Amino acid sequence: MSAWIERVDGLGRFLTSNIEYTLRIFLMVYLSLRATILDKAQGFRTIVGVIAAQVYFTGWQALPIISALALATGSVLVLQGLGNLTLLGGSEMIGSLLLVTLSREAGPLLVALVVVARSGTAVASEVGNMRANREIEALESMGINPLSFIVFPRILGGVISVLCLAFYFNLIGILGGFFLTKPLHDMPFSFFMDSLSKAFTMDDVFIFLLKNSFSGMIIFVVCCYQGLSVKKSPHEVPQVTTQAVVNSIIYVTVFNLTVTAFFYMSKLKSMGVL
Amino acid sequence: MDVKSLPSIESIRFEGLTFAHEGYDPTLRACDFEFPMNSVVWVKSEEGAGKTSLLQVMAGLLIPQGGSYFLNDHDVVPMSFEEFLPYRLKIGFTFDYGGLINNRSIFDNIILPLNYHDLLSPADAQHRVKEMIERFDLGKYQKERPAHVPGRVRKLAVLLRGLIAYPDMLLLDDPSIGLGDSTQMAFAELLKELHQQGHVKHLFVSSHDERFMNLFSHQIIHLSEGLLYKQANVTERIVVNG
Repeated sequence: MSAWIERVDGLGRFLTSNIEYTLRIFLMVYLSLRATILDKAQGFRTIVGVIAAQVYFTGWQALPIISALALATGSVLVLQGLGNLTLLGGSEMIGSLLLVTLSREAGPLLVALVVVARSGTAVASEVGNMRANREIEALESMGINPLSFIVFPRILGGVISVLCLAFYFNLIGILGGFFLTKPLHDMPFSFFMDSLSKAFTMDDVFIFLLKNSFSGMIIFVVCCYQGLSVKKSPHEVPQVTTQAVVNSIIYVTVFNLTVTAFFYMSKLKSMGVL
Repeated sequence: MDVKSLPSIESIRFEGLTFAHEGYDPTLRACDFEFPMNSVVWVKSEEGAGKTSLLQVMAGLLIPQGGSYFLNDHDVVPMSFEEFLPYRLKIGFTFDYGGLINNRSIFDNIILPLNYHDLLSPADAQHRVKEMIERFDLGKYQKERPAHVPGRVRKLAVLLRGLIAYPDMLLLDDPSIGLGDSTQMAFAELLKELHQQGHVKHLFVSSHDERFMNLFSHQIIHLSEGLLYKQANVTERIVVNG
């Protein structure tokens, strides 16, 4: 009996700590937005400068790895899709397959993983070191709110970067994938584009914006939060950085899965299945 | 922000103020205290009794768990960051170690509070910082980042940044550590000059360095077992430079 109670208690503690963490993350989004709106001192130039730097490091510098990933994923999907769809006599479905797998599912996840690995770690360790080196305290002592000076520009810069990278990933993945594998198939480009344009709906735009903007926000909020959670010593920085990566990936994956599940269910509902 | 619109700090008072770091004995236990004004106040205590925490509470960097902290008869404890900002801009705080922004040069670190809050025109802000840098002969380090300069320069930069906005109240945490004798004297002279000009009216210094403190005519307050006590006699100025 006591073992059973211990298990329930453990589950309860696990749930409450995760709910508390999630609420704290939401609270930080609100507080950083509030601080930015209320911060009359922070000039437009200051905030744009930090956002531009974030977009440069997170977006621009990630283009080579995103290009490689997009080309590889796009090529594999085009080849596998064409191989299997041709066998079934449905090669005109290639556009639909690419949009669903690449743009809606693989794109947001792969881009998020690259951003977590490159920039999430950088932000968590940078903010963590600032905390350990008392730079955050120093900003406060000068009347500079770290939430508007450090956190908000990184979140906004991160969201812009992830959206741009995801768009670039889709473009390179679909078109690059097609042209890279051209010697291995005989599908005309006009047929490919026709298939894509027929499959494209506003749902794709909605899902693209929803998944990628929230993924960007989740990654940078979680990483800033973990960085700010450093209490005293630089030895905490690697620990919070690892935790930032783990938590970002979990949150992004769960969010993407939830959006897909809701979308799939609403599709079934509209078809009268549910 | 218009400097003239900022409130001048005329009185500082604790009422039943309690502060404790998590898991430690309280630094301040229901402390009632009226701080001496318009003077140099030496904050003394046994090692580890919480002088730094006391200064951080006074600077609004640590939030007390109970009681009230009055600046000009306004309780600042429940104030938000934005509500406290006008007072904060009249308070300078310097750290015993660390505190410089690592991705900015020494010059940019010192000028940051002036530029961020538009306390002076950009030209005036540059002029003031250049003057300070020349006065302490930091010219060759001004474009370097904190990691590339000697500890003495880092310490001086932190001290100068704390007073660059000419605050009413200046809180110095172990200011003399890492400074040579001549720099200590020059810094003490600067503080005296600013005080005579009507800035840095209330100076609170936490230090174990009696030689440095004797450069000023000071009063002493003791922090002991969570309470503050004023030392009755005023120490006469022992050393006056020049």
